[in-house]
Amino acid sequence: MTHYHPSVEMLTDYAAGSLPLTHALCVSTHIEHCHECQQQLRKLEILGSHLFDDVPTEPRRLDDLKQNLLSKLRKSDRVSDNSHPKESTESKLDAFLEDYSVPKSLRQFVKKSYDQLSWTRLSPSFKIATLYNEEGGAQVALTRVKAGAHMPSHTHTGDEITLVLEGAFSDEAGIYRKGDFIQRGANHKHKPIVTKDAECICLTVLDAPIEFTGWFTRLLNPLIRRHHPFTRAEG
Amino acid sequence: MEPALQQQADEQRVLDIIAIAQHRDQEALVRLFDYYVPKIRAFCLAKQPGANLMADDIAQEVMIRVWNKAHTYQKESASLNTWIFTVARNARIDYLRKNSRHQSDIDPENLWQDVVDENADPFKDMQHHRDQKRIKEGLDKLPQEQKQVLSKVYLEGKTHQEASEELSLPLGTIKSRIRLALHKLTIYIKR
Repeated sequence: MTHYHPSVEMLTDYAAGSLPLTHALCVSTHIEHCHECQQQLRKLEILGSHLFDDVPTEPRRLDDLKQNLLSKLRKSDRVSDNSHPKESTESKLDAFLEDYSVPKSLRQFVKKSYDQLSWTRLSPSFKIATLYNEEGGAQVALTRVKAGAHMPSHTHTGDEITLVLEGAFSDEAGIYRKGDFIQRGANHKHKPIVTKDAECICLTVLDAPIEFTGWFTRLLNPLIRRHHPFTRAEG
Repeated sequence: MEPALQQQADEQRVLDIIAIAQHRDQEALVRLFDYYVPKIRAFCLAKQPGANLMADDIAQEVMIRVWNKAHTYQKESASLNTWIFTVARNARIDYLRKNSRHQSDIDPENLWQDVVDENADPFKDMQHHRDQKRIKEGLDKLPQEQKQVLSKVYLEGKTHQEASEELSLPLGTIKSRIRLALHKLTIYIKR
């Protein structure tokens, strides 16, 4: 049972299609397994459709557009011989190849399994794999922390979204399990601990690099910054 | 339009989408084109005023998706208006992604896919109609200032920050208007 959800504003922006794609990736991954948010999204889409239905239209001759469309459809139907586009079975097969099932929304980046990603080890118990760096924007990554391990104490220099994909972790504010969606603002300092029963894999979106605050782990900050697109764009 | 006539017209459009799915009925597609394309264009122009070519491109793309995906429409899960709205929204996101200065590699097709409701029950259809009606009636009664903010977000595709700048209102006011509106429409229930 999921206890932490995206805010209603964030779900509204997602339903409206105005949420940045990096954030939408986290919301979509959460929604895949959250019945409560699915219901809310359904209603937010109904609201969108009423606003869409009421939008004032302007008179304009659309005959050319219509003829163009119809001739395009006739051509494409001849090519595909009137059959419906075939559903891809590739992603369904891949799901059987591993222990963890990768959420549908992440399969664009995680083709087969989490193990096959290119992981960078930041400490004996903490690894990170970058999925996507937005040009001059946010970083989308997976973090993987061993069972029972402390994650290095760190501060966020920008907003951060964390979605628990496997396992669980806790910090001063609570315990977060599979499917939980956590949003932290800049300057939030915390020291997460992974539960002892299993490793923890999270999807994270960082608008700016995190900064380690421990005396030893501070040495890792240049490495973290080098991996973040925000710093690269600045530099 | 009279509610009875409105309902009749809605039902005809559902028959049209079924006719497209089953017999590739072009006349049915032309009827949906005449009804929806002006709305889709207006929806795109709300986001980028004056961008008529973009509006034409997206409207055409939406109708192609309607033609190719008509068989995936399930009338028990969503009204046709809601389905077309989601197709138009996705096509607009995709167009903007491909044509923006900072092109994103994240494919929106994977993010806004149809969520299959696994807890479907025989009352789903009924509940869906009830939600439709409640939201429609609530929207008609909403104060103009709340409706205006919802339009900024949904039709113009503005972030809350952008809405706050355009309306010269504090960000907190924008957020509270959205929450109040969603609360009245019984979409948002405080967890």
